[in-house]
Amino acid sequence: MSVWSPLHPAQLVFGLVIWSGWFVLLYGGLSVACEFAPPPDKRGAVTWLNGVMLFCGAILAVLLIWLARRCWNAAPAHDDGDGSGRFIARIAAAAYLISALAAFALTLPSVILPPCV
Amino acid sequence: MWALGIPLLLSGCDGPMSALQPAGPSAQASAWLWWGMFSAFTLVLLVVVLLWLHAMRRDPGQVTDREAQRVQNRWVVGGGLILPILSITVILAFGIPLGQRMLPLPLDEGEPVRINVTAHQWWWEVSYPDTGIVLKDELHIPAGVPVDLHLTSSDVVHSFWVPRLGGKMDMFPGRTNILRLEADYPGTFHGSCTEFCGKGHAHMQFTVQAHEPADYQAWLKQRQTDE
Amino acid sequence: MSEGTNKPAEELHEELERVWGNKPGWGAASAVNHTTVGLRFLITGLGFFLVGGLLAMLVRTQLALPEQDIIGPELYNQLFTMHGTVMMFLFAIPVLEGAAMYLIPKMIGTRDLVFPRLSALGYYCYLFGGLIILSSLVLQIAPDAGWFMYTPLSNAEFSPGKGPDFWLIGITFVEISAISAGVELVVSILRTRANGMALNKMPIFCWYILAMALMIIFGFPPLILGSILLELERAAGWVFFDVVGGGDPLLWQHLFWLFGHPEVYIIFLPAAGIVSTLIPVFAQRPLVGYRWIVLAIIVMGFISFGLWVHHMFTVGIPQLALAFFSIASMLVAIPTAIQIFAWLATLWTGKVVFRLPMLWILGFLIVFVAGGLTGVMLALVPFNWQVHDTHFVVAHMHYVLVGGMLFPLVAGFYYWLPHVSGRMPSDTLGRWGFWLFFGGFNMTFLLMHLTGLLGMPRRVYTYDAEMGWGWLNLLSSVGGFIMAIGVAVIILDITLHFRFGRKAKSNPWNADTLEWATPMPASAYNFASLPDIDTRHPMWEHPNLPETIEQGHHGLSEVMYERRDIFGSDAITGKVREVIHLPTNSWLPLQTALMIAVVCISLLVKVYPLALVASLGVLFFALRWGWHNGAHPVASPWRDDDPVDPPLHSRTFDGPGLWGMVVSLMANGTLYVSLLFGWFYLWTAAPQWSVPEEAPISLWPLLASGLALSAAVLIYRFAVTQLRNGSDAHLQKMLWIAASLGALHVGLLAWVLIAAPLKPSDLAHDAVLSVMLYYLLLHAGLATIFTVLQALRVRIGYVSLRLPYEPVVVQPFWIYTLGVFWMSFAAFVLLPMVWEVG
Repeated sequence: MSVWSPLHPAQLVFGLVIWSGWFVLLYGGLSVACEFAPPPDKRGAVTWLNGVMLFCGAILAVLLIWLARRCWNAAPAHDDGDGSGRFIARIAAAAYLISALAAFALTLPSVILPPCV
Repeated sequence: MWALGIPLLLSGCDGPMSALQPAGPSAQASAWLWWGMFSAFTLVLLVVVLLWLHAMRRDPGQVTDREAQRVQNRWVVGGGLILPILSITVILAFGIPLGQRMLPLPLDEGEPVRINVTAHQWWWEVSYPDTGIVLKDELHIPAGVPVDLHLTSSDVVHSFWVPRLGGKMDMFPGRTNILRLEADYPGTFHGSCTEFCGKGHAHMQFTVQAHEPADYQAWLKQRQTDE
Repeated sequence: MSEGTNKPAEELHEELERVWGNKPGWGAASAVNHTTVGLRFLITGLGFFLVGGLLAMLVRTQLALPEQDIIGPELYNQLFTMHGTVMMFLFAIPVLEGAAMYLIPKMIGTRDLVFPRLSALGYYCYLFGGLIILSSLVLQIAPDAGWFMYTPLSNAEFSPGKGPDFWLIGITFVEISAISAGVELVVSILRTRANGMALNKMPIFCWYILAMALMIIFGFPPLILGSILLELERAAGWVFFDVVGGGDPLLWQHLFWLFGHPEVYIIFLPAAGIVSTLIPVFAQRPLVGYRWIVLAIIVMGFISFGLWVHHMFTVGIPQLALAFFSIASMLVAIPTAIQIFAWLATLWTGKVVFRLPMLWILGFLIVFVAGGLTGVMLALVPFNWQVHDTHFVVAHMHYVLVGGMLFPLVAGFYYWLPHVSGRMPSDTLGRWGFWLFFGGFNMTFLLMHLTGLLGMPRRVYTYDAEMGWGWLNLLSSVGGFIMAIGVAVIILDITLHFRFGRKAKSNPWNADTLEWATPMPASAYNFASLPDIDTRHPMWEHPNLPETIEQGHHGLSEVMYERRDIFGSDAITGKVREVIHLPTNSWLPLQTALMIAVVCISLLVKVYPLALVASLGVLFFALRWGWHNGAHPVASPWRDDDPVDPPLHSRTFDGPGLWGMVVSLMANGTLYVSLLFGWFYLWTAAPQWSVPEEAPISLWPLLASGLALSAAVLIYRFAVTQLRNGSDAHLQKMLWIAASLGALHVGLLAWVLIAAPLKPSDLAHDAVLSVMLYYLLLHAGLATIFTVLQALRVRIGYVSLRLPYEPVVVQPFWIYTLGVFWMSFAAFVLLPMVWEVG
C-alpha cells in the first residue's frame, strides 16, 4: 500500500505534519520578515504581512479540508477483513480536519495584532 | 478543600506586590482576566467533577452498543470539542485585544516618557536619557501617563516586574526590550527581579515612585541641578 | 500460527525458563529481559523520587516562615535545581519508560522487547548518569543555575564551579536511556505484536506508548544538542550563547524548551494511558470512543511541539508571534478534553467497581483538570505576563505534573501490583495513603496559586515579612509535610503487601488485556505459546487464554537450538512475517555503559586523554555488540533446518534492525535539524552576529570529499540492490570499494577541517561550523567502519545471499550521512556565498 493511499497509517499524521510545517514557516517567516522588511508600527494590523498570513492560512485550511474529505470518502462502509482500513481512514479524516482548524486558527490574531511589536 | 479555598482566595488579595490590587491599566486588565477566567473555570471544574462522580455512582442498567455510541457522541462532541473551542474563542476574544493595548505602540499624540533600566547582579541601574540622572534600585515616574522602560542587562538574564502596574519583561545582555507601564495615581509600588539570576536573586528588589506630573517635573529639575 | 505442542506444561516451562531466565547471583547484572529491566527502572526511579521529595521538604522548610536563614541562598539554589532535575529526568521519565518496558511486550502478546540489550544499556546509562548527578549533591557542588540552566548564568563566567558540568554531562548520559527506550518501544510496538493484532486491535495503552516513544525520538535531541553546545562553551570556550562573538542566550532557551515542553506530554501520555486502561476495567465495559482517543493522542503528540515558546512569553518576542504559541497552547485543550469526556462516557455507560486504583484515578481527574484549566489561563499572553515566574506557575506545574503523572502512576502501581507480586494490596492502608497525599497536595499547591498572585517570585530562598506571604507559605509547608507522610504510608502499604497481601487469583480485576494471561508473578518468557489475537479484549472474549497459553496450544511453543524466539509481524495488520531470534543475557550493555561512564567522569575532571581512550573503548564494545548478531555463532548461525515459513529475521531484507536504524536516524536527524536551526537562528537573530572576512572553508577539497562520499553511497546502494535481486557476486569487493571511498572522504574532510582557519572561541559562526564538520566526520567515519566490518562478515560467511539482513540495515546510515553532507554544504557553504553576493 502506498503511503498516499487514504487507508495507509501514514495518513494519520500527514495533516499534522503539514500543520507543523506551516507553524514553523509562519513563526520563522514572520521573524525573518520583521528582521528584514518590517511594516511600520503605525499601520497596526493592516499590513501586507498580516494579509499574506491570513490568505495562506485560509488556502492551507481548504487544502486540508479537501484531504479530510478524501479520507472520509475512501473509508470502506463496513469493516473489511481486520477492520484497520476503515479505522485509519476515519481517524485520518478527523486529524486532517483538526489540522485545518488549527492551521487557520493560528492566523486569526493577525486580524488584530501588529506583526512586529 | 475547595469550600475552604475560595473564601480564602476572596479575602486577603491585597499586598505590596499583589497583582490583584492593580494600580495601572495593564495590571487592571490582567486582574480582570484573572477574575473572569477564575470564575468560569471554577464552574467548569465543579461541573466536570460532579458529572464524573455521578457517572461513577449511577447504575446504567444494560447499555447496548448503540446507546453507548449515543452517549459517546453527546459527551465527546459536547465536552471534548464544543466546550474547549467555545472557551478558547471567548478567552482569546477578550485576551488578544487586551494584550494589544499593553504593547508599546506609538501614541496618538506625543511621546511616552522614556527611562532606561540596566540590570546587574544584583541591582538596578536606572537612568533618565538627556538628563544625566542615574539612580540605583528606584524609579520615579509621572502618574497618569504611559512610561516606556528600555530594559537591558549587563550580565545574566533578569526580569523586571512591578505587579501592581503591569506584567513583567525579561532583560537580556545585548538586547533591549521595551515595557510600557502606567500608574493610575501617585504612590510607591514595589518591584522585583523574577528571572532567577543567582545568589542575590531573592534580594534584587526596587521601588517605583509615581508622582503627580507637576511634582515629577519638579523632581526632575531638582535632580538635574544636583547632578 | 497455532501449531501447538503436545509437551506437558511443566516440561515446556522448564525448557523456556532455561533459555529465557537470567543468570543466577551476580550474573543477573547481565540480564536483558524486559521484565527484569523494567522493574529495575521502576525501583531505581522510586529511589530517586524519594531523594527529590527530600529536597522538596528542605525547600518547604526554608520557605515556611519569612526571613528565615536555615538554608542559605547557595544551598537553596542547589536544592531547587536538583529537585526539578531529579524529579523530571531521574524519576518521571525513567519510571514511565520502565513501566512501558515491563508492560508493552506482555500487552502485545510477545516475550520480550525487540532489542533486549538496548533495554539493559538504557538502564545502566540511567543508573550511572543518575549517580553522577547525585554525587554532585553529596560533594556539595551540585548545579545551582536552575533545572533549565539558562545561559549566561550557567556559563563558565557566572558559574565557574563544576555544578553545570555535572548537570550537562550527567543528563546527556541519562538521555541515552530515554532515546534507546524510545527506539525499542516504537519498533517493538510496530513489529512484534501478536499474530492478527492489527493497529485497531491494539490495547489503547500501546497507542499512548507509541506516541510517547516517538515524542522522545523527536523531543530529546534538541536538549542533547543544547547540552553539548553549552558544555563546549563552558569547557573549550567555544561561542554559542555568549552575545560577544555572535552567540545568543535565547538560542539556549529555544533549544531547552523545544525539548522541555514536549517532555511534559511525554510524561502525561503514558500516565493518561494508564487511566485509559484502568477505567474500562473498573467500569467493566469497553472503552467508549477508542477512535476518538487515538485521534486525541496523535493530535496531542503534534500540537505539544508547537507550544515551547509559552515558557518564553516575557523574553520580548513580538506579540503576534506569541499569539501563535498562545493559540497552539490552547488548542491542546481539545485533545485533553476529548479524553476526559471519553472517560466520562465510559464511566457513564458502565457499572463502576470502586476499588483503590479508582480512588487515585478520581484524584487524578480533580487535580489534573484544575491544572489544565490554570494552564489555559497561562497560555493567555497578557495574563501570563503577570504570573510568569511566580508561585502561581509553581502551583500550576505541580497540579499538571503530579495530577497528570503521579496520581495515575500510583493507580497503575496498585493495579499491576498483583502482576508483579501475585498478591493484592490492602484497601485500608491504601485509602489512608491516598487521603493524606491528596489533602496535603491541595493544601500545599492550591494556596500557592494565591501566593503567586500576591507577587511572590519563583526561586527566591526567602522573602520579607511585610509582603504578606507568610501565612500562605506556612500552610503550604505544613501541607507538604502531610503529603510526605502520605508517601510514607503508601510505601509502607506496598512493602507490607509483599508479605501480608492476599494471594491474587488469576486476572484479579477481570481485565481485558493480554498481560493478565501471563503467570503471576510473570515468568521470564511471559507466554509459553504465542496466541493469535482477533479482538481488542482478548481476556474478556477468551477467558481461558491463560490455560491454553500455558499448555502450549499456540505458536512458538517449541524451543529451537536454545534460541530466544518471538514472532515478528506486519506493522499494520499484525500478521506474522518472521521469527525474530533475540540475543540472550549479555555483559556488553554493562561494559558499554561503564565505558561511557568513564568518558563522562573524565570529561568532568577534565582528563581529556582518558576521555579519548574511553571513547575508543565505547566504540570497541559497541562494535563487538554489533558483531554478535545475525549468523554469528552466539546468535543464530546458518543451519539447513532453519525455519522457512515464517523465516528467521536475519534471513530477510526487512527485519527489526532496519526499523531500529530508521527510528534512530529520526532522532539523529532531529539533532542535526536543531543544529541547522541554531545556525539560522544565530544568523538572523543574534544581536552581534558576525561573519569572518574570508570564508574559512576551502570549497574545492570539500566538494571533492563530497563526490567521494556520493560515489561510496552509490556503490553501496548498488551492492544492496544486487543482493535484493538475488546475486551476491562481488559483494565483498563492492563493500571494500565503498569503505575505501568512505575513508577517502573522511581523509579529505579531516584535511579541510585542519586547514580551515577556524576560530570557534572568538566567533559563533566558526563554532557552529566546527560542530557541523565534526558531526559529518563522525558519521562518515562510522559508516566506513560499519562497511569494513560488513566486508569482513561477508568473508567469514555471516553475510551472504542467504543472510542478506545486515547490509540492508547499514544502508540508511550511508544515505543519511550523504544527506546531511549535502544539506550542510548548502546551508553552511553555499548559502553564505549567495548571501555575500546578494
